[in-house]
Amino acid sequence: MAGFVTRREFLNLLGTTGGTAATLRAGAALGLLPGTAAAANLDLLNLAGNSRKVAILGGGISGLTVAYELGKRGYDCEILEASHRCGGRIFTVRHGDLIDEIGNRQYCDFDDEPHMYFNAGAARIPSTHRNLLAYCKELGVELEIFINENKTSLVQDDAMLGGKPIRNIDYTTNMRGFMAELMAKAMTADEMNSPFSEGEAETLLSMIRDFGDLNEDDLYKGSFRAGYAEGGFLKHGVQNDMIAFRDLLQTRLGRQLMGANEGDTGPILLQPKGGMDKIIQGFLRQVGDRVKYRAMVAGVQVRDNGVEIAYDQDGVRHTMQADYCFNCIPTHLMVGIDHNFPSDYVQAMKYVRRGEAYKAAFQAKTRFWEDMDIYGGISWMNNPSRQIWYPTDGIHKEKGVVLGAYDYGGGMYHTKMTQAERIEAHLSDGEKLHPDYRNLVEKPITIAWHRMNHMLGCSARWQRSFGRGWTHEEEELYHRLQQPVNGRHYFIGDQVSMHSAWQESAVMSAQWAMTDLDQRVRAETA
Amino acid sequence: MNKNTFSVVVSTWLMLGSAVLMAADEGREPFNDRYCTTCHGTDGQGNEGVQAPRLAGMEDWYLQRQLENFRAGIRGTHPMDIEGIAMQPMAAKLSDESIADIVEWVGSWPYKPAEVTLEGDVQAGAQLYASCASCHGRDASGNEALGAPALRGQNDWYLVTQLKNFMAGYRGHHPDDTYGQQMRPMAQMLRDETGIINVVSYINSLVQR
Repeated sequence: MAGFVTRREFLNLLGTTGGTAATLRAGAALGLLPGTAAAANLDLLNLAGNSRKVAILGGGISGLTVAYELGKRGYDCEILEASHRCGGRIFTVRHGDLIDEIGNRQYCDFDDEPHMYFNAGAARIPSTHRNLLAYCKELGVELEIFINENKTSLVQDDAMLGGKPIRNIDYTTNMRGFMAELMAKAMTADEMNSPFSEGEAETLLSMIRDFGDLNEDDLYKGSFRAGYAEGGFLKHGVQNDMIAFRDLLQTRLGRQLMGANEGDTGPILLQPKGGMDKIIQGFLRQVGDRVKYRAMVAGVQVRDNGVEIAYDQDGVRHTMQADYCFNCIPTHLMVGIDHNFPSDYVQAMKYVRRGEAYKAAFQAKTRFWEDMDIYGGISWMNNPSRQIWYPTDGIHKEKGVVLGAYDYGGGMYHTKMTQAERIEAHLSDGEKLHPDYRNLVEKPITIAWHRMNHMLGCSARWQRSFGRGWTHEEEELYHRLQQPVNGRHYFIGDQVSMHSAWQESAVMSAQWAMTDLDQRVRAETA
Repeated sequence: MNKNTFSVVVSTWLMLGSAVLMAADEGREPFNDRYCTTCHGTDGQGNEGVQAPRLAGMEDWYLQRQLENFRAGIRGTHPMDIEGIAMQPMAAKLSDESIADIVEWVGSWPYKPAEVTLEGDVQAGAQLYASCASCHGRDASGNEALGAPALRGQNDWYLVTQLKNFMAGYRGHHPDDTYGQQMRPMAQMLRDETGIINVVSYINSLVQR
C-alpha cells in the first residue's frame, strides 16, 4: 500500500534521524526489544570513604529511597521526620495507631490481628511500577495480588432501577451487549465505505459480537456471562433477565465500572502482605538508625558549599550542616519554613495546590460480603462516600476491615464534617449497598489528608484546569522545582512528578535527583 | 542563676510537663496540642502556602480571644469564610489549658515583620487609615483597652482576606462576636478591593518607618 511503512522500515527511518537511542526507545514501545531492566539500577558513584553529609527532610518514601541509595554509596545520611512515624501518605492503620488529624485526633481500635489493617493512603501497586517493585524485591517485602475490580461486587445509584443495587457483572455485561449492538449496526451500515478490507471488517465484527455476546442477528438478548438466575451446575442454567439499556444509562457510574481495569488500576495490581507500610518497614530495616523523629524543620539555608538546616526537637532548636539536602516536605508547608530559596523556585512552590483526598474505614464484625460471593474488590455508589472496598486479606476469617469511603477527587465534603457527621454519612451511604451495614460495622476511622498533621494535603496538584492537560507555564514551574538550588538542595517526592499520588513517582523523583547529584559529584572528583 | 536563665528552665520544664500530661495511656503514641506551626510556619511566622497568618508578635489577649471564638464557633463558621472554616475545627477541641499553653508558646516567638507582597497606593491608604487609627493606633500597634489588635507586621495577604471578609459579612456575622461586629461597618468605609489594598499597603509602610 502506498504511503505505508513496515515496522522494520519505520525503525530504520528513526535510526537515521534520531540515532540509536531513538531506535531503542521506539523499539521498546513497539514491543520488538526488551525494555530497560526491571530492577532499579542506579549507577551512582561510591564515595569510598570520602564521606559527605546528606540531610533528608521528611521520611516519606522518596526520602527513604535517598537514604537507602546514597547510604549504600558511602554518603552520611540523616532523616528529619516531623511526625512520630515515617511513610507520610504510605500509612497503614492498625490496632492502637494514632491518626494525627489536626483537631480530630483518633486512635484506631481495630482488633489486633495481622489482617486487620487499613491502607489509608497508598493502597495499590500497578505491576508496571517497576522501580517500586524492585525495591520491594530488594528489601524483602512480600507481595500479594490486590483485587481491584470484582464482578460480583455491587453498583448502586438512586437514579437507576429505583436505587436497587445490582452486581457489577450485571451492569458491565448488559452495557457491553448494548454497546456492541450499536457498534455492529454501525459496522454493517458503513462497511462498504469503511477503510477496512473485507477480511479486516469481518475480524472487527466478530470481535464486536464477542465483546457484547451478540446473537446471530447481531442483537443483544442477554448473556450467561452475568451468571445464572438459577441452576448452572447440576441443572441447565437459567439466564438472568436483561436490564434495559435505558435503565443502565440512568447512572454515570459506568465510567468507573467500564474503566476500572484500564490505566493505572489495570490488572495486575499488587500489595504488600500485611499492609502497604511493609515497604516503609523494609527501608527502615536498612536506614532506620538514620531517622530523627518528631524533628520539625525550622529553616533551610542554601550556602555556596552546603546547606544549613535548623530543626526543633524536644523543645530545642538544633542546627545541622550538610553538603546536600533532599527535601520531601510538601511545598505548601515549606513556604512557611525559613529558607533562602530563589524567587522563581518559591513561585513554583506556591503554585502547587494541595490534594484533598479522603478515606474512611470500619471494622466489620463479620465478613458479610463473602456470603454474597464477594471476595475483595470495590462496590460503587453514586453518593459522596463513593466506594466500599472489601479486603483482599483474611479470606474466610471472622472479621475484616472495609473501606467505607474514598473520595479521591474532592474530599472536602467529608473533611469539613465533624467525626460523628462523617461516620453517620458513611453508614447511611453504605446502607444503600448493604441494608444492615450499620449493624455489621464498628470502630470507624477517618483520614482527611487535607488536615493531617505535618502534611496538610494529599498528592500535589499542578494542573489548575484538570483534564485539559498541563499549560506551558505549569510545565516551566514544574521543571524549575525539579532543578536543584545551587546543586545542593533538591525537592523530591511525588510532588516533583507529572503523575502524583503514586509511590513510583516519588521513588523516581528521588532517583532523578540522585542521578543529577551524582553527575555533579563525578564532575568534581574527576 | 540569673533571672533569665531561671525563666528558660521553668518554661522548658512546663512544656515537658504538659506533653507528659497529654500523653495517652495504654502505651499509645503521646501527643500535645502544639501543632500550630504545621500551618502557621516556623516560629509562627505565617504561611502563604496554606493561607495561615503570622502568630509571632500577636498579642496574648487577642490570640486567646480568637482561639476561644474559633472554639465556640463564633468565628470560622460562615460558609464563605474559607480560611476561617479551615481553622475552626482545629481549635474546636482545645481545652482552656491547651489555649493557655499555646498562648504562652506563641509569646516565646520573636516579632519579625512579615514579607511585603502588595503594592498599593500608600498615600490613598494613609487617608483611609485615619479612621482605623482611632482603635488600632496611629502606628497600627493595636490597643488592648479597645480590643483592637496590632496590624503592622502581619501578613498583608491575610489582612486583605480579613478586610474582605468583614466587608462581605463573612467575619463578624455571629451575634456573639462583639468586636467582629464592631469591625464590620468600619470595613465598609474602605469601599472596595482597591481601598483594602491601599490601606494595607499603608499599614505595610508603618513597619518600615
